[in-house]
Amino acid sequence: MSLWVDKYRPTSLGKLDFHKEQAAQLKNLVQCGDFPHLLVYGPSGAGKKTRIMCLLRELYGAGVEKLRIEHQTIVAPSKKKIEINTIASNYHLEVNPSDAGNQDRVVIQELIKTVAQSQQIQSSTQREFKVVLLTEVDRLTKDAQHALRRTMEKYMSTCRLILCSTSTSKVIGPIRSRCLAIRVALPSTEEVCSVLTSVCKKEGLLLPPELAKQISEKSGCNLRKALLMCEACRVQQYPFSADQDVPETDWEVYVRETANAIVSQQSPQRLLEVRARLYELLTHCIPPDIIMKGLVTELLNNCDGQLKAEVAHMAAFYEHRLQLGNKAIYHLEAFVAKFMAMYKKFMEDGLDGMMF
Amino acid sequence: MDEYDELFEVEDDFEDQFADELEVLAEMEEKNTKVGKGQQQQDTSDIEHLLDDQPLTPKAKRQKQDVGVVKRLFNAAKESKGLSKGCDITPPSSPEQYEPSDAIRSASALLDLSGLATIPDTPARPPTAAPASLHVLKRPPLEGEFITVTDSSGSRVYLRQKEESESKVVESRMVPNSQGSLGLLAVPVGVLREQEADRRHQQVIEESQRLTDLLTGSVNDVFAEPESRGEDENEDTEGGACRLWVEQFSPRHYTELLSDDFTNRCLLKWLKLWDTVVFGIERKSRPARPDRQAPTQNKPNQNQNRFKSKVEMTEELLEAELDQYKRPRFKAALLSGPPGLGKTTLAHVIAKHAGYNVVEINASDDRSAEVFQKRIDTATQMKSVLGANEKPNCLIIDEIDGAPAAAINILLATLNRKDGHGGEVGTEPTKQQKKKKKESILLRPIICICNDLYVPALRPLRQQAFLLTFPQTQPSRLAQRLAEISLRQGMRTDTGTLMSLCEKTDNDIRSCINTLQFLHGRGLKKVDTRTIQCVSVGQKDQNKGLFHLWQEIFQLHRVKRKRIGEAFEEAPGSGGGAQRFQHLLHLASSSGEYEKVSQGLYENYLSMRVRDPNLESVCEALDWLMFSDRLNQVILHGQNFTLMRYLPFLSVTFHFLFAHTHVPRISYPHSQQEATSKILTSRNALSTMLADIPACIRTRISQLSLTLDVLTLLLDIICPKLRPVNPQLFSSREKEQMRELIDTMLAYNLSYRQDRTPEGQYTYLLEPRVEEVVRFPGLPTRRQLTYQAKQTISREMEQEKMRRAEQMMLQRNPKREGDKKSEGPKPSRNHEQRLENIVKQTTVESRPEVDFFGRAVALKPQRPQPSSDSGEKNAELCMGTAVGNSDVCFRFNEGMSNAVRRNIYIRDLL
Repeated sequence: MSLWVDKYRPTSLGKLDFHKEQAAQLKNLVQCGDFPHLLVYGPSGAGKKTRIMCLLRELYGAGVEKLRIEHQTIVAPSKKKIEINTIASNYHLEVNPSDAGNQDRVVIQELIKTVAQSQQIQSSTQREFKVVLLTEVDRLTKDAQHALRRTMEKYMSTCRLILCSTSTSKVIGPIRSRCLAIRVALPSTEEVCSVLTSVCKKEGLLLPPELAKQISEKSGCNLRKALLMCEACRVQQYPFSADQDVPETDWEVYVRETANAIVSQQSPQRLLEVRARLYELLTHCIPPDIIMKGLVTELLNNCDGQLKAEVAHMAAFYEHRLQLGNKAIYHLEAFVAKFMAMYKKFMEDGLDGMMF
Repeated sequence: MDEYDELFEVEDDFEDQFADELEVLAEMEEKNTKVGKGQQQQDTSDIEHLLDDQPLTPKAKRQKQDVGVVKRLFNAAKESKGLSKGCDITPPSSPEQYEPSDAIRSASALLDLSGLATIPDTPARPPTAAPASLHVLKRPPLEGEFITVTDSSGSRVYLRQKEESESKVVESRMVPNSQGSLGLLAVPVGVLREQEADRRHQQVIEESQRLTDLLTGSVNDVFAEPESRGEDENEDTEGGACRLWVEQFSPRHYTELLSDDFTNRCLLKWLKLWDTVVFGIERKSRPARPDRQAPTQNKPNQNQNRFKSKVEMTEELLEAELDQYKRPRFKAALLSGPPGLGKTTLAHVIAKHAGYNVVEINASDDRSAEVFQKRIDTATQMKSVLGANEKPNCLIIDEIDGAPAAAINILLATLNRKDGHGGEVGTEPTKQQKKKKKESILLRPIICICNDLYVPALRPLRQQAFLLTFPQTQPSRLAQRLAEISLRQGMRTDTGTLMSLCEKTDNDIRSCINTLQFLHGRGLKKVDTRTIQCVSVGQKDQNKGLFHLWQEIFQLHRVKRKRIGEAFEEAPGSGGGAQRFQHLLHLASSSGEYEKVSQGLYENYLSMRVRDPNLESVCEALDWLMFSDRLNQVILHGQNFTLMRYLPFLSVTFHFLFAHTHVPRISYPHSQQEATSKILTSRNALSTMLADIPACIRTRISQLSLTLDVLTLLLDIICPKLRPVNPQLFSSREKEQMRELIDTMLAYNLSYRQDRTPEGQYTYLLEPRVEEVVRFPGLPTRRQLTYQAKQTISREMEQEKMRRAEQMMLQRNPKREGDKKSEGPKPSRNHEQRLENIVKQTTVESRPEVDFFGRAVALKPQRPQPSSDSGEKNAELCMGTAVGNSDVCFRFNEGMSNAVRRNIYIRDLL
């Protein structure tokens, strides 16, 4: 528990550093006793999980922090055994159903039913429901999500679901309508800076505000990343200097270099090189949509106003295709090729315009 | 007449080129006359002789018949040895010695011969002919022995006993007991047997007549005037309408084979190696290569020139010595090659040629293990004793690549079967074989034929068989044969047409001939290139391999140069857009491996030489790839297989976008597979790491956040700057830092493992191997800890782990620890537990004696005991006696010493 991220994680709703209003609302929600299903969504590193754990603590007390990992084996109707790890306390159960891949529907059905069908014995001292926390709901298959619909209503008396995902776009409408949606936005730069400063203060370190700002910008206000970066800076050099270079994640650097390669030359040979780099990114377990997003962000920096719109449009088109298809590399390369063609045409037109 | 010359040239060259075969043939001919085995003599120069005759005989009509008769006679003479002995025609050793007049004479003799066959049919008729009157006399002859015969009317005749056989045949009915023996049959057995032999002979003659007709017909058709063709055609159409031309014109002699000469020769040689064991003929070693004779010299020979061409290797194999049973080293031959090259025909022709009776097993037979075993045993160990084909069997297993593995194992077992009595080798293998019942070794050649040599089931057989791969048939030879056939069938063709037909069918003999017959059957008398191109038969529906397909897609065929005189159509790959479209669509859809094909296209299209400055075609190609990817997704997820028909269009598009006249360099697509396996290893590393992370941290991180945010920075964080000194000398701040580092590493389930590089250096590697997951090539390398630092960390971590484990133990069962402590100190401490003390205890401290039942026994003061006060003093004395003669028994407990036994806790050490 010695990473700063883990060490200084707030454990109760009252101690949360940002979105305090929302925290207060959640507290009220718990206290009024009518607790609905929740759908917590927001970008990575905004503190969804922290918030959920705080909420659970508010619901059940400190006992919820005694966690254990359980290995469960579920037999699918096709007699195939699915191994899945769950994290559980006495009061809740956390599952990542997408670990089971295509069989996640079976996991949902079996696991939630067993939890939901067991009643709490002493409902006078405890809540009368257990909580099932499903993470990465946006990676659930449609089948599994449909399986969830009925379960949510049927076992309402004994079980509440908290769904956690990065976006609601992949959660089907029926589920969204059954849940109270809570959006956890990214903290602002100032908030990140204040968190960083307070953590450094607790560590007995002095963080220059310039560096704090630089870190929070580089991390894209992803608080987890920001804290890790800050700690990496600390390992790299202490005392801090204001213009210290902040370590970045390798894949982001790699994506940026790829984007630069695309902009600097547009030819089939370059496309081949880019393909090799894309393969490299994919084999390092970077999801294709994140690669696409990173590429677009970097490429847009090099585009003029009119081209920007076109590129954004094309990116949306190709990302949609990417979601529909199976082989990510085709779609990524198609986007790169399309961008190359557009960029080249644009540049040539610009040159022609300058000549005449 | 040009073609004629050409053909002739080939025939003339024959002697020079195929000295090997001729030698073998000559050898066989010799053997034929010597041994007198009833094998069909192979006459290589029949045709030649006839051709030679041709110019001498301007009157084609009559002469032709004669020639045919000669031929018939010749065959008859060969095939019926007994009868041909009877008449005085001996086959000349070389047909070149024939004279036309001679031929006519012999022809008439043959007519006599065939007339002779009628005699046994009517043996009852009394001889009335002039020669007969010489033997039948009204009165007893003056000299020599005679027999009196009285008929029903009472008239008596006297028969002169001149020649035994003649009188027997002629008067068998009249004098049933002419030999003096009593027979039950009216006709003696001898006569019946002869009658039967004659009948069979007649059949053989008829058949050979037919064959010769065919042969002469073909020869004449090629060379004679068209007027003589009319007759032949009629004959052929009546005979051949129901038969496939492939059957009709299949080669019957070694020299007619169209397949590669080297292959033919090799197989023939291999088969001849069996002669020693099958026919009992000693193999003649060649005088030209005396060094081969000694078997001991063989091996060093092979070692010396290790690098030999494939041809030489094969030759070497064939020259190798026989094994102890005088069998060749390889017991089976395995022919392989694409369909339609004449593998089966070759096997049959050669087996017949070498004097075997062919037994064939093919895919249409039941090839389950038991049946297969039975058939192999039957074929290799039995021999037909009745009938004309009293020849040893040669087993031909056709289409073996489809046989089940069990059957092939049985075949292998047969090949490897060891003789029960290993050492002795009978001089006559056939006799030996008869003696053996079940365990006999394989003594007959086996020829296996397959299309695909690399079927998994064939793998063991490949190592034990004499492998022969069939090369493509030469199109010129094939075209020549086609020309002969079409001439005989009265179709008008030319070489160009036939060559294009060969090309279209990929030199598949069967397919070519079938196509010709098909065209003939439709009433076409004249076939030209256009017909061949337009007709949609003859094209084989086989997939050609991925590389071929990719090549076709990326290569634009040049229009072939026009031949003189007539317009020559382009190859199917070139030509107009529509034609190319159809061609590629056909190719792609017949290949069927869309996934692999599109992979190959994707990996190769960017390296094609296409001028595409604006990347338009690249974009379009990628659009198509995306489309096919989506299609695949829909097909696989929705089981919507009707959509599969749209998949081959990808190949067509790529062809139109990227085809070029240059020969493309195509590489096999690996990257997708590599990527998949790499992703798998990365995932595995991550999940190993995640598996043992404690639950409180595990809830906060997922695999995704690990790769995206945490891991890179975490790896930075666990590489702090450490002073390279003993950790005992760290300052308190450094110690704190170290503690945190170890905490972190333990929390995230990371550790260092010592590893030895191949160079012998020791390194510490981070375990699990997540470093590869987050590090990218080409980026500046991150700071690494030194070996010493890693070593220190690793040691500290081990200690920390032990400490934690102990704590866990304490937490889990604190009670027992307390119990132990509360039990109080042991009665004696370690240092007191010395031998003397123990002895003192045992000897000095008197225990109440007990008897057998455990009751205390009252001591009888027999001896004055040392008083208690002097006991202290006399302890040593007692001890001395105790060791010597007391009832205390000392035993050394090996491996256990009380001296070092002590409970120590980890916390005391660390």
